[in-house]
Amino acid sequence: MHRGLVTGPGELREFLFGRLRSAGCLAAVFAAAAAHAAGAGADGRHWRRLDSEIDARTPSPAQREASRAQGRGTARAGRVAWPSAALDALLAVSTRPHHPAVIGALTGGARAGTPREAAAVAAYLSISGPASAAVRLLGLDPFAANAAVAALGPDLERITEYAASVAGRDPAALPAVGAPALDLLAQAHQRHHRDEVRLFAS
Amino acid sequence: MRARAHLTVELDSRGRNVVRELSSASPLTLMPRRGAVRLAAGPTDRAVVHLVNSATAPLGGDELDLRVRVGAGARLLLRGVAATLVLPGHRRGSSRSTVHVEVAEGGTLEYLPEHTVVTARAEHEAEFRAELAEDALLRCREVLVLGRSNERPGLLRTSTHVTRGEVPLVRQTLELGNSRLEASAGYLAGARVVATESVVWKNDPVAPTSGEWWSLTPLAAGGATATALAPDAVTARHRLTEALRTHPDGKELVREHW
Repeated sequence: MHRGLVTGPGELREFLFGRLRSAGCLAAVFAAAAAHAAGAGADGRHWRRLDSEIDARTPSPAQREASRAQGRGTARAGRVAWPSAALDALLAVSTRPHHPAVIGALTGGARAGTPREAAAVAAYLSISGPASAAVRLLGLDPFAANAAVAALGPDLERITEYAASVAGRDPAALPAVGAPALDLLAQAHQRHHRDEVRLFAS
Repeated sequence: MRARAHLTVELDSRGRNVVRELSSASPLTLMPRRGAVRLAAGPTDRAVVHLVNSATAPLGGDELDLRVRVGAGARLLLRGVAATLVLPGHRRGSSRSTVHVEVAEGGTLEYLPEHTVVTARAEHEAEFRAELAEDALLRCREVLVLGRSNERPGLLRTSTHVTRGEVPLVRQTLELGNSRLEASAGYLAGARVVATESVVWKNDPVAPTSGEWWSLTPLAAGGATATALAPDAVTARHRLTEALRTHPDGKELVREHW
């Protein structure tokens, strides 16, 4: 956002559209696959494979770090609210699992939810987070930001359907949607903050 | 048109890289640069093979398949000589090209094709799949140009898979053909050229580096990916070179970059 790529509600909507179709789709696919795995009582090896397949689809360390930080936070809360064998199996493989894997384990574990539900949660979170950030960082009208999210309803529905339709595939064969601009922006963002810290230190 | 081409490079008993198997099938024509192999004979040489498009391809309906095997300790540079134009065919239907490579222990493959221009109404699917032995080295590049000047690109789906043993290092798919998506800062930010290079080399970068629309990032399970977005191919190449220069083996990687 500091690059001025998003300055108003129209640009926010277009940014969210791209994010939903790229990173959001990837998150939805792996949330659905994790929910499927949870329902099928997957073993540690399967959770480990899901984890490394998300890594291979996330070339940006900044994005991997963000996904694991969010995953850990969600898992900690989820372990108290909705404990399940699936979540324990996932956390036995990694104490900082990727966010989509946690969403899937939580949805398909204690709640016995469907891959479709897990996909919908992940897809929605991929755009609701940036939308609320736009309100806080750019001072956008919250109603306009929410309208931008709501306008993507049909796209969200399509992504969710798609993710649910591939949930049962072998982890290696799951879709691997890339997002080059998001990856570059995430790295630039990290660089920007590091440089800022240096500026204060000098 | 259906075409299958094979290429195998191995080390002979004197430690030279030799092309053991080479079968071209138009339009996939493989041209070994024999002089270069002989001149540089010795344990550090490498086989150099040029990939030449000997007919206008891919066209709609084409299926092109290239298999490459690099034996233990062998070294191959496989490079393109001209840009590939992806065109629609007379018949309806998509075209498909697959490149499958295997690199054995201590082997090295540099796969450096020229850029791919996705023209209007093309419908193409491309897949690059590399299976690496534990200490094999690989660099593979892809430069996508979204249409000729003032042209919207057709449909393209391109996937890159790199695995080392059982471990996936890279799996990335890009789809072109939706102008709203390509314009979004959440996907291509309006770039006309997307350049990526996956590098599994001697050393891996410890930390990511980035600049104006380029980055070099260490991958989670080893190797690194250089990414650049640009309004034109010249700038994209420049930015990709910038990214590769920051790699710990950057000197070697940019020496013969293009």
